[in-house]
Amino acid sequence: MTSQEPLIHPPRLATWLVSLFAFAESEIILGDLQEEFSEFVFRVGIGSARGWYWRQALSTVARQLLVGFRLSPWSTVAAVVGGWLLDRYAWQLPTLVIFAVLHRYQIYEHHFGSYLFFSTSGIALGHVLASLFVGWMVGLASKRRELLATMILVLVFVGMTGASTLWLAARNAPILWSMFPWYIADWFAILIGGTIVRSHRVVSARQPST
Amino acid sequence: MGRRDYLGEFEHIVVLALLRLNGRAYGVTVRREIELRTKREVSIGAIYATLDRLERKRFVKSSLGEPTPERGGRSKRFFRVTTKGVAAVNRTQREIHSLTEGLDFIRSYP
Repeated sequence: MTSQEPLIHPPRLATWLVSLFAFAESEIILGDLQEEFSEFVFRVGIGSARGWYWRQALSTVARQLLVGFRLSPWSTVAAVVGGWLLDRYAWQLPTLVIFAVLHRYQIYEHHFGSYLFFSTSGIALGHVLASLFVGWMVGLASKRRELLATMILVLVFVGMTGASTLWLAARNAPILWSMFPWYIADWFAILIGGTIVRSHRVVSARQPST
Repeated sequence: MGRRDYLGEFEHIVVLALLRLNGRAYGVTVRREIELRTKREVSIGAIYATLDRLERKRFVKSSLGEPTPERGGRSKRFFRVTTKGVAAVNRTQREIHSLTEGLDFIRSYP
């Protein structure tokens, strides 16, 4: 490829993932991938080149996660434990705040429909916002390993939910399946919180060179 | 000799690739050299994870090149093997030679 030929862009999502997960070298790695991708396009076609790019990007993400954990296992574990403890407190807040407001303005007596919404879906939405805050805090506490720490925290919650569901099932106790979409939303919110912090840091790191 | 003075299998391969490339070694050329010589597909993430480890062990040094248009305006990072790295690869080569010397691979492992 010569410098006169237009630059063919690789898959944007794969590029975004590498920039989010790469520990320190994301710009260098993305430069290498772009250089090889452009050559692959002319040699094997755009479809095969995209497949190659995705394989390289996913493998790089997995490697960078391992490197991130190996370099600072204890600070990552500390951020996860801190996030878990914070989540225990943050999870109670929406219930406390919403019921305080409902009681203060006597919603039950005057607007029963609103009361029903806020005391069920409102609290669940509050939990999602609390999870977003927890993910954001874990991201702030684990510099350059934001997504690793938030992913481990989510895996801990997935494991806890799975274990408690099995425990209830073994005792023939009722399982609140209707809550599962909200649990999943909470887990995504934690990841989104970490992603927001990481994205902000990636953009900030690029600014001096532009 | 400490634990950090040893070269692992992939570290050994990467250092040999850097020596072969002699001043032209950056992510793309290192990846291609390894694929060409070993016939195995290697990811750029594996190369950088290993180069990062080798740099921490002070077996390699790196420097930034100029940004180029074919890389979307991004720089290359060039790598070269240090004296300590050359000593480590020599030691590893001697150990492998010592272990393989006198073995008849064709007859022993049909």
